[in-house]
Amino acid sequence: MSISAAIAWGHLPDGRPLHRWTLRNAAGSQLDISNLGGSLLSWQTPDRRGRLGEVLLGHADAAQYLASDAYMGSIVGRWANRIRGGRFQLDGIDYKVDRNDHGNHLHGGNDGFHLQRWEVEPEGGALVLRLISPEGEGGFPAEVRVQLRLGLHDDGGLDLHYEASSDAATPLSLTAHPYFNLNDRRPDIRDHLLRIDAAEFLAVDAQAIPVGRQAVAGTAFDFNESAPIGSRLHWPDPQLRLVGGFDHCYIPRGPANAAPRTIAEVIEPLSGRRLTVETDRPGLQFYSGQKLAGQPDRHGGRYGAFAGFALEAQAFPDQVNGPDAEAAILRPGAVWRQHTRYRIDTV
Amino acid sequence: MAPHRIALLFNANKVYDRQVIAGIGRYLNSTRVEWDLFMEEDFRSRMRDIRQFRGDGVIADFDDPQAPDALRDLHIPVVAVGGSYHDPAAYPAGVPYIATDNARLIRLAYDHLIEQGLPRFAFYGIPPHAGNRWAQEREHAFRVIVAAESTEGIVHQGQPTSAGGWGSAVQALVAWLGGLPKPIGIIAATDARARQLLQACVIGDIAVPEQVSIVGIDNDPMAQLLTRIPLTSVIQGAEEMGRTAAHLLHQMLHGVDCADTRVLVPPVGIHVQASSRYQPLRSPHVMRACHYIRQYGCLGIKTDQVADYVGISRTVLEEHFKRELKQTVHQVILQHKLDTARQLIAETDASLADIAVRCGFTSLQYMHTVFRREFDCTPRQYLDLHRQTAAPN
Repeated sequence: MSISAAIAWGHLPDGRPLHRWTLRNAAGSQLDISNLGGSLLSWQTPDRRGRLGEVLLGHADAAQYLASDAYMGSIVGRWANRIRGGRFQLDGIDYKVDRNDHGNHLHGGNDGFHLQRWEVEPEGGALVLRLISPEGEGGFPAEVRVQLRLGLHDDGGLDLHYEASSDAATPLSLTAHPYFNLNDRRPDIRDHLLRIDAAEFLAVDAQAIPVGRQAVAGTAFDFNESAPIGSRLHWPDPQLRLVGGFDHCYIPRGPANAAPRTIAEVIEPLSGRRLTVETDRPGLQFYSGQKLAGQPDRHGGRYGAFAGFALEAQAFPDQVNGPDAEAAILRPGAVWRQHTRYRIDTV
Repeated sequence: MAPHRIALLFNANKVYDRQVIAGIGRYLNSTRVEWDLFMEEDFRSRMRDIRQFRGDGVIADFDDPQAPDALRDLHIPVVAVGGSYHDPAAYPAGVPYIATDNARLIRLAYDHLIEQGLPRFAFYGIPPHAGNRWAQEREHAFRVIVAAESTEGIVHQGQPTSAGGWGSAVQALVAWLGGLPKPIGIIAATDARARQLLQACVIGDIAVPEQVSIVGIDNDPMAQLLTRIPLTSVIQGAEEMGRTAAHLLHQMLHGVDCADTRVLVPPVGIHVQASSRYQPLRSPHVMRACHYIRQYGCLGIKTDQVADYVGISRTVLEEHFKRELKQTVHQVILQHKLDTARQLIAETDASLADIAVRCGFTSLQYMHTVFRREFDCTPRQYLDLHRQTAAPN
C-alpha cells in the first residue's frame, strides 16, 4: 500500500485547514480519506474487466460534508446508532445526551466524531487517525482517546482497527458509515444481491429503536441466501413499512469480540464487484438508503432514494438501555478494540 | 392442524421453472412450514383439471395463457408467477404477481455489451404467440433502451422453431447475420435462441465474439453443453421468485390480503463467457503493460521491465504499442510521469524538487526540460497557474 502526502481539502469554519490522503494498492484500487470525521471520500476499485470505478457515495467538498446530515462515509461515535430519548443510566447516574433524531440520540449527536478534525499520520504502513473526545461532548461522560488504523491491502481489503480508552466509564460504540454502490453506472442499489449471515434481527418501533429480537426465517429479512435488495422491499412486511425500507440491526452468527467473522456479502451483477464484510462487533445495521434523496453528490447533482446502502458493524442500537448494557461500557484501564474489514473483489 | 394442500402449476421442463420450484422448496425448508404439495407426475401443468382440485392454495405459471381463466373461480388463494409487463394493465387483476423483470434482464445484457465496447446492437426474438408474451416484453425493453440511448438497434424475430423448417430457418439466420453491420452485440430472448445464433455463426463462418458478440437469457446448462463457444447468459432471479411466491401464499393462508402485491425480481447475475468477450482495439499485452505502468510508472521503470512483466519480448511489445496507441512504451511511461507531476503540483503543497523525485525524474532539471518540451512552460509557471491554495468551494 502506498500513502500520498496530505492534500489540501478545504477548511473548518474556524479556519483550520482540512486535508485528504490517498491510499493505493498494487491492483490499482485507491481510497481517499479526510481528516474531517475520518471520512472515506472515495474508493475506486476494478470491475470484472479491470476498469476502475467509484464504489462509495460522497459529497463534492468539505463544506458539504460539514453541512451534511447523512454521516457520509464518516467514522461515527461516541455512540453509533440510536439511544432512546437520549437517556441512559450508568453506575447509578442519569445521563442526557444530544437528542438529534426525533427526540432520540443518533450517531454521537450534534458534534459527533464525524464532524471532528482527526489527527492523521502515516505510521508503520498504515494511515493512523487519532481523536480525543473531551468529557461532556454530546453529553457523554469521560474523556475518550480513539485511534483508528486504516490499511488498504492488495486483495482489495480495507482494514479498520479501532482502539479506545477513557478516564472514566462511558458508553462506546464506533462504526464506519460508508454508503456503497458497487455499480458506478447506475445510481440505484436495488439490483444488488445481499447476503447476511444472521438468524435474527432487531425489530424496531416507528422511531427505528429496537423493541425485540425477531427470527428472519420466512420474512423479507432473511438474507441467508443472497437475494436482490429491491424486490425484498416489496414484500408485505410491517417492519419495512415502519421505516420505509431496511434500517435494522442484524445479529450475525458467530461470537462477537473474537476474531472477525464474515457476516455479509453484496454482489453487483453488471460490474461483478463483490463486497465482503467481516467484523468482531455483535451487530450489523443494514440501511437500504431510502432517505438519501436530495443529498448532494460529488458532481453538483443530488442523489435519489436507494442511491447507496450501508452495512455498519457496531453494538446494538440502544444497548445502553437494555440487558446487555454493561457490554457497551468502556471503563478506565480497559482498552476497547474493534476490527472491521470491508473487502472488494470481483466474481 | 393438517398441512395446507398447495398445487404448483408449472411446466418444469425448463431450468427457469425448476428454479422457481426450488425457491418454493427453500422457503418451506427455512420456515418449517409444512405444505402438502400437489404437482403432476411429469411436472407439467394441466390447467383444465385444476377445477377438480380440493386444496387450500395455488402457485401457478401465469405465462401459460390458460392460467388466468382456469384459476379465476377457484375461490382459494392464488399466487401468480410470470414475466413482467411494461403496461400495468396487462397484469391479471386481483392476484398477487411475482415477475421476472424483463426490462432489467435486457438492461443487464445491454449494459454488459456496452461495457465490452460494442458500438451497435441487435435483438433476436421469437415470433409472437399467446404463450410467449415475455419474449415480446423483452423485445419491447430492447426497443425502449436503444431509442432512449439513440444507439443503433436492429430487431429480428426469426422463424418459429420446428423440425421441418429447421434447415431453412438456419439458412435465413445465416443470411441475417451475414447482412448485419459488424462488430455487433446481439441479445437473444433465451439461451435456446442464442444457441441458434451460435450455430448459424459457425455455419456462416462469422467470428464470435470478434464480429458478433452474443448474450442469452436463462444460463441454461443444456444450451451450454450444445455450443462450442461458451455462451454468456443473464441469470434470472427464479429461485427468489419462488421464495417470494411461497411467502405471499403463506401470508394469504393466514388471512393477509396480498391481492395488490406485485414483486418484480431483477436478474441475479450474468455468466460471462467467450461469446461476449469482445476486445475493442487493445491487445491484452497493451492492456497489461498499461496496467503495470499505471502502478509503477513513477518508480523509474524502463521498457525492458514492462516487457518482462507482460512476458513478451521488448520488440514485440513495441510493435503492439505502435499499432494500438501510436506511441512507444517509453512515451507512455513519460506521459504517466508527467500526468502524475501535474496532479501533484496542482493538488499538494509539495516542493517541485520533491515532486520530481516522486514522479521518477532523475532530477528537477530533467523535469524542467521535459515540461518545457511537452507543455511549453516551466514547472514553476505551471504551479503558479494551477496550484489550489484556497479551499475548494
